[in-house]
Amino acid sequence: MYEEPYRWVEAVGNRRHYLDEQFKQGSPVVGVAYETGILLMTMSKGTPKLYEIYDRLALGGMGHPADLEKVRFSLLETAHVEGFNRSPFDVTGSRMVKYGLAPVIKQAFEEVFKAPFIVKMILAELGQKIGKDSFLTINYDGTFEEKSCYAVLGATPGVEEEMAAYLRQQTIVSLEQAVNAAVCSWAVGDLTQRQAFEETGEPREAPANLDRRVSDSDVLYDHIRQCMNGKSIECALLDRQMAGPSKYRTLGPDELATLLPRDLGRPAA
Amino acid sequence: MGLQGDFYQVLKEQGYAFGLAGQAKVEQDLITATTILAFKYRDGVLVAGDRRATAGNLVMYDRTDKVLEIDRHSVMAIAGVPATAYEMARVLEHSFKYYRRTQLQELSFEGKLRALSKLLKENVAAALAGTGAVAPIFAGYDIEQEAAKIYFYDILGAEFEGVEYAVSGSGSPTIRGILHYLNTWGEQPLSASSEEQATVQALRLLTSAAEFDSATGGVNRDAGLYPVIKFITADGVRTVPDSQLRSLFESKVSRTT
Repeated sequence: MYEEPYRWVEAVGNRRHYLDEQFKQGSPVVGVAYETGILLMTMSKGTPKLYEIYDRLALGGMGHPADLEKVRFSLLETAHVEGFNRSPFDVTGSRMVKYGLAPVIKQAFEEVFKAPFIVKMILAELGQKIGKDSFLTINYDGTFEEKSCYAVLGATPGVEEEMAAYLRQQTIVSLEQAVNAAVCSWAVGDLTQRQAFEETGEPREAPANLDRRVSDSDVLYDHIRQCMNGKSIECALLDRQMAGPSKYRTLGPDELATLLPRDLGRPAA
Repeated sequence: MGLQGDFYQVLKEQGYAFGLAGQAKVEQDLITATTILAFKYRDGVLVAGDRRATAGNLVMYDRTDKVLEIDRHSVMAIAGVPATAYEMARVLEHSFKYYRRTQLQELSFEGKLRALSKLLKENVAAALAGTGAVAPIFAGYDIEQEAAKIYFYDILGAEFEGVEYAVSGSGSPTIRGILHYLNTWGEQPLSASSEEQATVQALRLLTSAAEFDSATGGVNRDAGLYPVIKFITADGVRTVPDSQLRSLFESKVSRTT
């Protein structure tokens, strides 16, 4: 039935529609570079969505947990075999994604008889020098983009644009500023996503007349406080100040409480 | 496969082979020309090693690092054929990282010990052929049990716990007796030593080993060469800087200041 070219194009189009649907309940992911490292942040219900991949690589993902696990294992295996056979310096995000992961995801997306990967990812890479940090975002169809100061994942490109627009206005130097900006950008994403889907029930490319409120910090903090009832804030760092080759660490609840704006630091009463 | 988090298995599936037996039977005793030691002190465990690498009666290199940090809480000190020992250290380092990252939890201390034992066992053929014998010490801080631990291995992979201390290498018979004496009849057991006392003892022990064993490098003040000494505590592995070794050597070890 897919022997005619336009049938195949139609099938791929349907698939895009199906995949967009899968992400509408997803929790956005934010990655920001700060003075001495990179912060990845999301909110989750217990299953972690941020992972250590290699000494200087961390992964944040949205989508189906089983697919995310498959991708994660594939990245881990490639990175460690490469790091062992050559050198940890040869394990770069760019090589992992461009020659390893992206072609596999693209192939799965276009093979219309098989299931695609329901995943969107950020691969954050801590540079050897300050100012050389980078992010790679990979979409469910295998397209990837390289960013330097920040990167975001949201349900639609429109949601991602809103999140990025918020981050562009922020000055991020310290870890505290990074946590604050990431948490607020996450709230912008989550609110935008909800509004977009509530209005139409369908994913939309660009939320045209979004309520101006979403960049107001009180509204954002309120939203996060509500979300903290069922979910928890998850933060992972690639911290240049860590001793030894592995730079990944997670922010525990106590450390996070000291970094969050005061009224968010305490657990919801 | 993924569930096991076994990096060594991943390597083998990719065609990697460890410890293939060499055909040549080397008559010369290559086994353990070195001195490494580990003992418990007040806050954890000290691991130290001299820096000489020899081939027969030639000194090949005087700046070898035989005390290798495998992860944040464990160290492997090597005695034996360096090529095999370094390869083992690399496999272990990647295995522990791979396990932690895939399974989202640290490999247990027991699991780390088994990993080294397995590598030694796979290496038996090469060890017996005389081209790959390694007799390492593995020391670390067991986070779960909140205790410092020391283990030493023979070249076949048997694992023994060094309750207070362990030694390996050609210079080890000299200092084994000293360690026993110090620990039994010294002013205090080794495990009660402060960090500075432990460092001084390690410097004295390695200097004694070098006195009687030509394959152990001592301290070479002219070249600024000091042994490698590392401490492992609950906070992780730390290397004693050369500047500190120099001042302690001059004030507490040397007899010709």
